[in-house]
Amino acid sequence: MSGQQSTTSTSIGSRLLDWSLRGYVVLVFVFIFAPILFSVVFSFNSARFPTIPLESFTLHWYQTIWNDPDVWTAVRNSLIVSVCTALIATLLGFCTAYTDYRYNFRFKSAYLALVLLPPTIPLIIMALAMLAWFSKIGASGQLWSIIIAHSVLTAPFAMAIIRLRLNQMDRDLESAAWNLGASEWRTMREVIVPFCKPAIVSALFLTAAVSFDEFAISWFVSGLNKTVPVLILEIVQGNIDPQVNAIGTFVFLVSMTLVIVAQIFFTFRAGKSFS
Amino acid sequence: MARTNFSGFATTWRMPIIVWQVLFFLGPLLFMIAMSFFLVKNYRMVEAFELKNWEKMLTRGYFWDSYILTFWLASLTTAVTSLLAFPASFALAFKVSPSVRRWALFFLIIPFFTSYLVRIFSWYVILAESGVVNALLAHIGLGPYTMLNTKFGTLVGYMTLTLPLVVVLQTFALANIDRNLVQAAHNLGCSPARAIYAVIVPLAKTGLIVAALFCFILSFGDFVSPYYLGGSKPPTLPILIIDTTKSGQQWPRAAVVAVVMMLTLISIAFAALALAYRKRASR
Amino acid sequence: MNQPLVTFDGVVKRFGDFTAVQQLDLSINAGEFIAIMGPSGCGKTTTLRMLAGLDQPTEGKIHIDGQLMNNVSPHQRDTPLVWQSLALFPFLNARENVEFGLKMRNQDAATRRKKAMDWLERLGVGEFAERNVETLSGGQRQRVALARSLVTEPRLLLLDEPLSALDAHLVIRMQSVLTRLQRELGITFVYVTHSQSEAFAMADRVVIMSNGEIAQIGQPRDIYREPANQFVAEFVGRNNIISGTVTGVSDSNLIIQSELGEFTVSDHNKVTAEGKDVTFVIAADLVEVSRSPMNKANSVECTLISEEFVGSVVTLFLESSSGTELKVQLQERELSTLDHTAGGAFYLGWDSDSAHLLPA
Repeated sequence: MSGQQSTTSTSIGSRLLDWSLRGYVVLVFVFIFAPILFSVVFSFNSARFPTIPLESFTLHWYQTIWNDPDVWTAVRNSLIVSVCTALIATLLGFCTAYTDYRYNFRFKSAYLALVLLPPTIPLIIMALAMLAWFSKIGASGQLWSIIIAHSVLTAPFAMAIIRLRLNQMDRDLESAAWNLGASEWRTMREVIVPFCKPAIVSALFLTAAVSFDEFAISWFVSGLNKTVPVLILEIVQGNIDPQVNAIGTFVFLVSMTLVIVAQIFFTFRAGKSFS
Repeated sequence: MARTNFSGFATTWRMPIIVWQVLFFLGPLLFMIAMSFFLVKNYRMVEAFELKNWEKMLTRGYFWDSYILTFWLASLTTAVTSLLAFPASFALAFKVSPSVRRWALFFLIIPFFTSYLVRIFSWYVILAESGVVNALLAHIGLGPYTMLNTKFGTLVGYMTLTLPLVVVLQTFALANIDRNLVQAAHNLGCSPARAIYAVIVPLAKTGLIVAALFCFILSFGDFVSPYYLGGSKPPTLPILIIDTTKSGQQWPRAAVVAVVMMLTLISIAFAALALAYRKRASR
Repeated sequence: MNQPLVTFDGVVKRFGDFTAVQQLDLSINAGEFIAIMGPSGCGKTTTLRMLAGLDQPTEGKIHIDGQLMNNVSPHQRDTPLVWQSLALFPFLNARENVEFGLKMRNQDAATRRKKAMDWLERLGVGEFAERNVETLSGGQRQRVALARSLVTEPRLLLLDEPLSALDAHLVIRMQSVLTRLQRELGITFVYVTHSQSEAFAMADRVVIMSNGEIAQIGQPRDIYREPANQFVAEFVGRNNIISGTVTGVSDSNLIIQSELGEFTVSDHNKVTAEGKDVTFVIAADLVEVSRSPMNKANSVECTLISEEFVGSVVTLFLESSSGTELKVQLQERELSTLDHTAGGAFYLGWDSDSAHLLPA
């Protein structure tokens, strides 16, 4: 579109500007993806202190973490936490999104603020608050303390995704189901949930991804039940250890897969609206 | 649509999040505020209402050093990130096809949901004295430069966290501008550079400010970058919270720091939103 | 034919401060095809939604088949609605959409399937049964939506501007599909539309609403020829509306002086006295037009402004010397005798019986 315009109305100068802008975008992407890329590359590099030129290819770091029972426990903990978080947060997000879609009531903006605020509060503050609260009610140091905290943190993401999907729903669809003899509950099961399915799947994956990577709150409230990011945090606090690159690559792989699956369901399935 | 009478159905969908957030979001936050007035005696926290922690923290020089440093770093990051992001967002909004833009946004969202910790560790290795950057620079006869444990290192870390988000938000803001207005400006003899300043930025103002606000909130609250890449001397406020909580067992004092941070962020957010939604004064 | 199928008794519907329907009294007989027509915001859709239970009346009572419906939930009624948006479930195929109502009535899968297929075939879309509804054309989707509403064999079918999204040629096709179905099934259709041609072509009776009130109820011909008030006369369109003062009364005729000239209008009720201000209507298709002065009870000399062709019908827009616009409707083949492209005067004329005096 802009290409056609520039051929008609412009000089080499602005062409050059356009291309340097595009080059700049590439630079920004390089900056953003460089750490991810290097982490992956170094995880296969034999040097104790990773730099260039690269030394030989090795699977040593992967063997190290494979044989480390702490890593296995952490992975197990992380999986439990992110799966449970995803389920709870998506359920909460769905309830909230539907309420926002369907109902108007007094204090609705306060209601929405209560739901949407958590991600805007720095994690370290949430971490301290959760730690204090959980020890007050005698629930700290458990895996489910992390799950609860993560659900608070991620429910807004689930809510947003499902709410956007509901926006694409024909306003008459729900009434049409009632009109054909479905009660409100039955309509929920037969119409609303099926319609939102791609967004629900997307929300499950995205909240799992956020939970899988979160380290500040987990670190504060987990006690001895370390998750993978907490384990990484503790290794990193010690010394430079290329093990981190291997674990990191694994973590990237998991969370990227989750995020990409979430996006595919969101953009390609949910984006297909009917007119 | 809404029925005025009681509906079990409506309540079922409305209540879960209220109960959940009150128990596990409002509860913790309010308790933390209350905790800032508690006392610690013999390494045990005693519920009380005393201003001691507040006095202790607010009269200490190191607290204010931390505060100023944190505020300054977050402001610097906000300015630098916003400026560095703008050309990229501009290009994504105006100079590429919609499908390229979609893919770019798709890829920009990914890092936001991937391990920040590992990315910072990766920067640690890359920026080290004998790391990748210095090795590259040595080839052209420069360096080595010290990048770790400097403000530069901290800035790189903060930008790792904030740059993708800022580019995404700015791109949305710019892409939503009515193209006809930009065309009209060109038509009226506005040079492209002038159009950015006089038309595009004012039109996208709200989005640009919201992006900057998120950038500030994220860098103000992050402890990983200043700790691993910045050397934490002096510590930033989040590091102060960690140190006070983890080593000193002084949770109430950590709560003081947290409450001060929240108050700061709330003021900044209100100021930013007021600025973002202010009607443009006539010139 | 004893008891009406549907009755509205003093029904009022308010949304906050806004009154959508005020004081509605209406009965609908079993087997009737009734059209509710009016401009947008007149309360016609709210009336329909109240029948379906999607809105509850603020005041008054609605009975269906003798049963008070005010507090019956939508899903407990048998009042299927054909939606303007069609509201087909996008995640179900055509057959599953049609089966939906049966499934909610807990019929077994085999029965559901058979009934759904029967209806899809009856409406000529059987071959698309397993297709995703989003891949169907507008007309096909329309038929699926109809099948979905009819499959439960209701006594009352509600239709909310069902044809408004279709192309003109499909509208005509669907109109005949609908009227044939209604005759064959003998069920009651309540059809909401803003399209006069749809309402007049299909309905036994037409209800015209304005500002939440009924402006007129009657057979299409009555509404067309004898509008009850100025709103209906204007809304129905293609009417020439002339106001003036009665200057003489003779037998059943009134002499009316208006800025267009003097006219004679029949007044069968003989209630209008001299000196009164009155308004009468002369339908555009009852006006005759010629290039030479006419020997009629009423005539006006005009110049031609423009013409409009819709199918074989032509509407001429003319202007009198006093600047009043008048309309004449005639068949296209009549036009050729007029030599209408040449300039000069046109003479309009009509019988005093053709004009309709609006009730004061």
